[in-house]
Amino acid sequence: MSSATEKPDARASAVSSGDRPLRVLGVEYLNARPLWESLRDDPRVDLRLLPPSEVARALSEDEGDVGLLPVAAAATIGELRLLRNMAIGARGKIRSVAIVSERPIHELDSIALDLSSRTSVVLARLLLARRKLSPRLFGAPPEEAIAAVSGRTGALIIGDRALDVEGRFPHRLDLAEDWLDWTGLPFVFAAWFARPDAVSREEEDLFRVAKQKGLARADAIAAEHAARSGLPEESLRSYLTESVRYDLGDEELAGLQRFWTEAARAGLLPAASPSFEEPRVARTRPSLDSILSRAADGERLSVSEGVRLLREGSLFELGLAADAVRRRKHPHGVVTYIIDRNVNYTNVCTTSCRFCAFYRPVGHPEGYVLSREELGRKLQEVKDAGGVQILLQGGLNPNLRIGWYEDLFRWIKSEYGLGLHALSPEEIIHLARLEELSVWRVLERLHAAGLDSVPGGGAEILVDRVRRKIAKAKCTSAEWLGVMRIAHHMGLRSSATMMYGTVDTPEDRILHLVKIRDLQDETGGFTAFFCWDYQHENGTHIAPGDNGTHLYLRMQAVARLMLDNVDHVGASWVTQGPAVGQVALRFGADDFGSVMFEENVVSSAGTTFRINAEAIEQRIHGAGFKAARRNVRYEWLTEPSAGSGAS
Amino acid sequence: MLEAIREKVLRGERLGFEDGLALFNEPDVLAVGQLANQVREARHGDRTYFNRNLRIEVTNVCVASCLFCSFAKLEEHMPGAHTMTLEQAWKKFEEARAAGVAPTEVHIVNGLHPGLPFSYYEDLLRGFKRIDPTVHLKCFTAVEIHFFAQHYGMTHREVLERLRAAGLDSLPGGGAEIFDEDVRRRISPDKATASEYLEVHRIAHQMGMRSNVTMLYGHIETFAHRVDHLLRVRELQDETKGFQAFIPLAFHPDGNGMKKLPAPTAMDDLRTIAVSRLMLDNVDHIKAYWVSLTPDVAQIALRFGADDIDGTIVHETIYKAAGSRSPDGLSYDELVRLIREAGRTPVERDTLYNVVREHPKARAPEAAMKVRDRKRALEVVS
Ligand code: SF4
Ligand code: SF4
Repeated sequence: MSSATEKPDARASAVSSGDRPLRVLGVEYLNARPLWESLRDDPRVDLRLLPPSEVARALSEDEGDVGLLPVAAAATIGELRLLRNMAIGARGKIRSVAIVSERPIHELDSIALDLSSRTSVVLARLLLARRKLSPRLFGAPPEEAIAAVSGRTGALIIGDRALDVEGRFPHRLDLAEDWLDWTGLPFVFAAWFARPDAVSREEEDLFRVAKQKGLARADAIAAEHAARSGLPEESLRSYLTESVRYDLGDEELAGLQRFWTEAARAGLLPAASPSFEEPRVARTRPSLDSILSRAADGERLSVSEGVRLLREGSLFELGLAADAVRRRKHPHGVVTYIIDRNVNYTNVCTTSCRFCAFYRPVGHPEGYVLSREELGRKLQEVKDAGGVQILLQGGLNPNLRIGWYEDLFRWIKSEYGLGLHALSPEEIIHLARLEELSVWRVLERLHAAGLDSVPGGGAEILVDRVRRKIAKAKCTSAEWLGVMRIAHHMGLRSSATMMYGTVDTPEDRILHLVKIRDLQDETGGFTAFFCWDYQHENGTHIAPGDNGTHLYLRMQAVARLMLDNVDHVGASWVTQGPAVGQVALRFGADDFGSVMFEENVVSSAGTTFRINAEAIEQRIHGAGFKAARRNVRYEWLTEPSAGSGAS
Repeated sequence: MLEAIREKVLRGERLGFEDGLALFNEPDVLAVGQLANQVREARHGDRTYFNRNLRIEVTNVCVASCLFCSFAKLEEHMPGAHTMTLEQAWKKFEEARAAGVAPTEVHIVNGLHPGLPFSYYEDLLRGFKRIDPTVHLKCFTAVEIHFFAQHYGMTHREVLERLRAAGLDSLPGGGAEIFDEDVRRRISPDKATASEYLEVHRIAHQMGMRSNVTMLYGHIETFAHRVDHLLRVRELQDETKGFQAFIPLAFHPDGNGMKKLPAPTAMDDLRTIAVSRLMLDNVDHIKAYWVSLTPDVAQIALRFGADDIDGTIVHETIYKAAGSRSPDGLSYDELVRLIREAGRTPVERDTLYNVVREHPKARAPEAAMKVRDRKRALEVVS
């Protein structure tokens, strides 16, 4: 029996014993309403209404059995079963998804994207690429997107807002209509997708009946929505009865398949095909080999493919595929490292993460805040050692106000001129709360004071079920990602990290990677990814990497394969030890991290490795690479040096 | 080149000197490892051997001055020099037995002490057998045996016969270093030569004793010297079939005459294991000696051709003296977990590779540590 079937997500037993209602995730949107409305009162169903992107998250985190899922998300998750005959699509104009502008589309030099529907964003990209247009695309909240329209700037708008502005702008590209024009096929935006073995054939009938009832009530639904939204009733009625098509016939299926194929070819989505069968047992299920070779070729992988790699891929298969990706992304055979110093400016922290041996509560006698003298000495040492940046992080100390940081940053910049890789999202959010400022404002002020980039620490696992268990008081996944989104929009770069090996499952780890990948699609702001396993306290384990060095190497390799849009993957030798760090260079990493002077958060938990630049270069050479020093933007500061030969 | 070698390996054809050299120079070390892993799995599947052993060094006083040795002291009165009384040595064994899992093997390696009577060694062995008649005594490297022969005026065979009569069961593989005469003269000028070392093993094998064989790499030798070393091992093995395991030993530079050299890196360790597996088609086992490699790298080596990870060890002072970061010993459970985490099947063996206990394999590497256990581990911390 393969390990993939071990996962207890099969609901089959629950269904037969009937002890749990079917967990259905619906979308609040008007056009979805006919599909779920009558399920609300059905005791066999537990219906939750969410925004479309949340449906994707909830379904992939197993908070639901079946969801009305945008098709881009369905491809990203992978191995879902499509329910027959129901969809939200259009053959021709959909009216609610359009690029609006004052000038014709080919004259636009930028387009604001309402990011609430990834499917529409992907479709927009494909349609632009088809016309050989490449305006700058940038994400914006819906209202701002509309407000941005002027001159050569257009906007992709979605939903009620798109209906609302019908006729307001001289140019309007209806995406579904344009798709038909291109492919001759209808477009499917969303459909019911079920987790493996979660929905029986009988239960599927519930949805068909609901659809019939819902469509019969289309007029009433239009009237109600008109009353709520202020949109004209007649327009809504024709929208529901004429524009949106709720069928999923052969033509629609062909349209869906074509969309997935085009998007995969463009590297925007993992390759997928719609299946009414249970995908894990389907004859069409791809072999592990085919997943690996597609990954090695740089194709995008779905969540389920990533999970299979992590569960079933062998050390060498994963290593060789990741090495191939590394080679394609970095053909010069250069591995970089940075000379910097991790300065923990305070160990006073109001949060008490279970895995953190570093912090001291407010008022504790061992609590400290580094003085300017101590900091100055450390910074001077960094400069003397040829260092170019410091990584400044600390606990969440309520006594340090934003002014303290601004002064500190200005002082560091003017006195030492070092790069400032400082304050993880957790600390930024803490500051925003403390000062009652927005995250945007906090980042803006710190940026102005000299902040260069944001370290990706504290990401742990970006799945809230896991975060709540290991770090209850920490920010949520959405908050963490939100800080990074804002930082990236402001032009700051950041790294992304992952700490696995606590209570997380392989699924959680892959979801974490996909969340990073999604944000990276949006902003392109992540420079590099690092992962490490949870480190036990000293004495409770035989060696660093307690979950096994194999797991580390496999995890890093899978990360390299999943994160097709992140340039660099770094070996975390500080946590794994220089030996495993070196081996990791053959498992997808192209960076050896930093020559660090201290790393309190990790070393308090018993891992202390010290190493100098010469030893790092020796290891890089020993792994068959040239070595170059870099800055925080991964630009080479030295000519790549080859090894002295020998072994 | 690698393709041609791969085909040879898959056809079961023996590799030659040039092949060995090519494997050491192949840029794609993962491909070399994968090939070695294939050979390893064809021989042993997922089975990975370990034992319960006790390492004792009864004396570190040594008349020789090997360049790489951080362990030996020239004379008895020098600081750090120590020689155990027989009682002290036996006590180590009794303590280890009392501490829980009784060792099935006592492994003794010493300096070449000029001032002890031969009866000291005979009594030493008899004493261990008195404590536990079933314990396997794997004692004295070929270098020591050769020293005994010279020092006490006996032939190699006479030394071995007398020690066997006192309880000796097999020989450890230490002291092989690098067989190449030039290199050996530079790093170990005053102890058994390569042919003397091999001769001792030949005689032991002829007497029906098994032994292991090692290679000390990563100092001043070249890849060609390593391949040559492997070929000499293979040659004797063709003749006697007496070697059980080949054990590459990484040179550690602290506190010895070569401290300016960098230690070999993990990549070199893994490659050396892999090439050994590929070259030594007539040696059953390749050992990833965790003390030399660190448990982390030893674990990876289990996929690069190694099928044995040595044992619990308990006390090790030779590598410690040379700056190894490895712990003193690993508990039985830690070894089992180390192997399971690598997705392998832990098999406890005795010294002669008879199965003592086979542990269940982790179903997938991922499953090695259940979420439940991780939760428990977390609770320990918080
Ligand atoms: S990990 Fe960070 S936030 Fe959590 S307790 Fe430690 S210092 Fe505070
Ligand atoms: S390696 Fe052995 S023979 Fe050489 S000095 Fe050390 S103890 Fe003596």
